Amino acid sequence: MPLLEVRDLEVEFPMRAGRLKALRGVGFSLDGGERLGIVGESGAGKSMAAYAILNLITEPGRISAGEISFDGTRLDTLDDEEMRHIRGNRIAMIFQDPMMTLNPVLTVGTQMVECLHAHRKMPEAEARALAIAKLREVAIPSPEQRFDAYPHELSGGLRQRVVIAIALLLDPAIIIADEPTTALDVTIQAEIMGLMIELCDNHRVGLILITHDLAVVSDVTQRMLVMYAGRVVEAGPTADVIDTPAHPYTIGLLHALPQKNEPGGMLNQIPGNMPSLAEVPTGCAFHPRCAHADARCKSELPQLRMVKERRVACHHAEALT
Amino acid sequence: MIAAVQRAIASDFFYQFRRDPVAVGSTLVLLVFVSLAVLAPLIATQNPYDPIQIDIMDSELPPVWQQGGDARFVFGTDPQGRDMWSTILYGTGVSLIIGIFAVMLQAVLGVTLGLMSGYIGGRLDSFLMRIADIQLSFSTLMVAIIVLAVFQAAFSAQLYADLAIIMLVLVIGIAEWPQYARTVRANVLAEKEKEYVDAARVIGLSRLRIMFRHILPNTLTPILVISTVQVANAIVAEAALSFLGLGMPVNQPSLGSLIRNGFDYILSGQWWITVIPSIVLIILILAINLLGDWLRDALNPKLYKET
Repeated sequence: MPLLEVRDLEVEFPMRAGRLKALRGVGFSLDGGERLGIVGESGAGKSMAAYAILNLITEPGRISAGEISFDGTRLDTLDDEEMRHIRGNRIAMIFQDPMMTLNPVLTVGTQMVECLHAHRKMPEAEARALAIAKLREVAIPSPEQRFDAYPHELSGGLRQRVVIAIALLLDPAIIIADEPTTALDVTIQAEIMGLMIELCDNHRVGLILITHDLAVVSDVTQRMLVMYAGRVVEAGPTADVIDTPAHPYTIGLLHALPQKNEPGGMLNQIPGNMPSLAEVPTGCAFHPRCAHADARCKSELPQLRMVKERRVACHHAEALT
Repeated sequence: MIAAVQRAIASDFFYQFRRDPVAVGSTLVLLVFVSLAVLAPLIATQNPYDPIQIDIMDSELPPVWQQGGDARFVFGTDPQGRDMWSTILYGTGVSLIIGIFAVMLQAVLGVTLGLMSGYIGGRLDSFLMRIADIQLSFSTLMVAIIVLAVFQAAFSAQLYADLAIIMLVLVIGIAEWPQYARTVRANVLAEKEKEYVDAARVIGLSRLRIMFRHILPNTLTPILVISTVQVANAIVAEAALSFLGLGMPVNQPSLGSLIRNGFDYILSGQWWITVIPSIVLIILILAINLLGDWLRDALNPKLYKET
């Protein structure tokens, strides 16, 4: 049985216009120590899926269907207090912008010790020692001094290392990283990604990496999901999906990467925008932007099915690979 | 400790402070008032609370610089023969104590309720904010007058005199909490959308911890600014209530009850009994308000003034 299993997850927001579904039957699983990538455009529901796992969807949104099981427990039915023991302790999360995720008025050390104390009773000195050990582990130079520093005294890269150290503090089984390197510059990005892979391997931590950067996904993850308008449209081993994409949306995303073009040429892009939640097209949600769409795509929702080692939700998948 | 002081002296905040004569001046005035009030038992020539030291034969003497002044009484005496200088020292202390404690009560109530209202939201928020709205629709003074008048009528004069300070602190404190609650709530609504709050939830911190440890310190700036203004308001409210005879009793004078006390005599020529405590009150309030204004400007980087 996988460590984390999400089945038919639906998240809806009751609005005046009706119920908006941010997620529509999303399913995936993660084994211990495995690295899974979730990609898609903004608004595809990537972050929503992550928030749903930790039961942190902002009101009035709620999980309306499906189940999330982690290590034998149903997360979607836990009460607040039980969920609090999972957050940070068994499942940790890393956010996009390290400038924003550390509290500006508390020292790094205070924030780390606080996280330890939220889940474990331990003397102050021991908590401090453990926190400093974790700072050392994420390769922060002179961690004793950084322990007493305020976030604004650290550079962006250092801050993201601190955030990673906090995520690792309680040896979680899974880390969910929501675009962890997007706010950093390219050289630091590579360093941080390298560090995360190394740490996840060392501690056998499962990683869910949410990003729109296909290069990062192909470097880091073993399996990947492509999401569009709240659904998984393609899922499978990263190498297969990247090398021979089967869904027109995945093909479009890969095609849109700048390095595929001649220098000076026009950038390839997928025409149109992601539909808003209020007006998701009938049938396959991608059909208005798809070059291969036909009458069937407009009326019939394609189900995920196995095509060449991966699951795809497209009527024309066989023809496209 | 020493390092903290050195850091404070080197800070941008202190630099701005030193360069602003208004800020330095009002702080100095305030410090003088506070130290005079604290040291009152040592520097006052007379204890106005001790009837043995008061001689009715000394009553209504003018200040020394006027004809008929007595060297023992720099600012003259009041109708009971109390030395004005000593009485003002003690009275300033009483006014400051009421102002500060009333604001502390306002702050504790307002900050706690504002935090809960902003962070938890939903029905609790609507409920608390409607109470605040209702309370703000009454004038503070009106509520205070009703409560104090009922209290005065219901209890003996002696009990009232003993509890006057506590009652004033309670009444002024409870009447003004919505000021804090609204400011804090507005700031919490802005802060709670920030990612560090999500991050705190994600590491499994409890609600209380997030509210008081993470969000509260980030809303301290506006709290600090309204606190100074509120201290001035509370002192004025106390003075107004005392002036109406609902505040401090005559034998434990605050600035307000001194002013009221002398007001009956102003037309018969004994102006000093009212005017001198009034001037003291005005200077005190002015100093606090100027400091509050400066603090608001200094703590708000968007308001950098061209100088």
